[in-house]
Amino acid sequence: MINNAGRYLSTIIRVVLGLVFIYAGALKIVAPVAFAGNVAAYRLLPYFGNYLVAATLPWVETLCGLMLIIGWRARSAAAIISLLNVVFMLALASTIIRGLDIDCGCFQQGATKTSAWAAMGRDAVLLALSLSLLRRDRRTVERTAG
Amino acid sequence: MHQSTNRLLREMIAICLMAAAIGIAWNHRLLLNAWTGNVPASSPAPASLPPSQSEKGQQAVPLPLGLMQVKEFHDRKEAVMVDARDGAAFTAGHITGAVSLPLGEADGRLAEFARRYPPTTLLVVYCNGYDCHDSHDLAGKLITAGFTTVFVFEGGFPEWEAAGYPVTGGTP
Repeated sequence: MINNAGRYLSTIIRVVLGLVFIYAGALKIVAPVAFAGNVAAYRLLPYFGNYLVAATLPWVETLCGLMLIIGWRARSAAAIISLLNVVFMLALASTIIRGLDIDCGCFQQGATKTSAWAAMGRDAVLLALSLSLLRRDRRTVERTAG
Repeated sequence: MHQSTNRLLREMIAICLMAAAIGIAWNHRLLLNAWTGNVPASSPAPASLPPSQSEKGQQAVPLPLGLMQVKEFHDRKEAVMVDARDGAAFTAGHITGAVSLPLGEADGRLAEFARRYPPTTLLVVYCNGYDCHDSHDLAGKLITAGFTTVFVFEGGFPEWEAAGYPVTGGTP
């Protein structure tokens, strides 16, 4: 019974996380130049690096989101999303330390500015969700193997 | 355990490479523009900068520039800073050396602007920051008017002023 509840909860987390990342990725895919501008505002990468990130990162987000929803290689997708969230949080922390007042560029490009603290809070929640998927999946694998 | 971690890492790398390949293929034209627009600090002249229009003459979007690149252009006097905000905002404070070309008056003043500056002039258009889209709209008009090297400084006047860079007008 508890096991079933856990499985349902895991599926819900997987789908919600997948939808969030597909949404985030799709909004950036349709506005790569604006997203490049938002990446540039972090002042962490060289000029071309901003465009390379803007061209590739949204597709990583979208692909991982899709894989989470369909449940294929979901553990790998969750691991990538965890890693992405850590990178996002480090980048946001660097803006706070450097006193940069910029839009996080997390979802809609050029929309209302989200503060770095708010974005970090959201990323922390997403990180916790993706880590919970990783943890649960490993337990399942270990139980099956043992 | 070790085997499953290895497998996880391999899968993660494969997924990232696949997504990156799709992204690069999807955005190859933008990346090509950005690559040719890579201006090192030792860049000799603005003429070596990328055109905002493709070689086929097809209009391209104005590329955004970050604060540091804008500052470099400003300090080396390689770019004309174009203020897309209205006249009152310009008078209240603007990037030192900028010229005013409010979006609302652009249609009437573009011809005069084009007579004053050659089409290869490096233009950096700005307005009131990330929430303001006038700079993008004005940059589009400048590209349509024949200017070949148009960038948008999306951080705009607020980011420039907040960085403590030179401004003219406003409160001292």
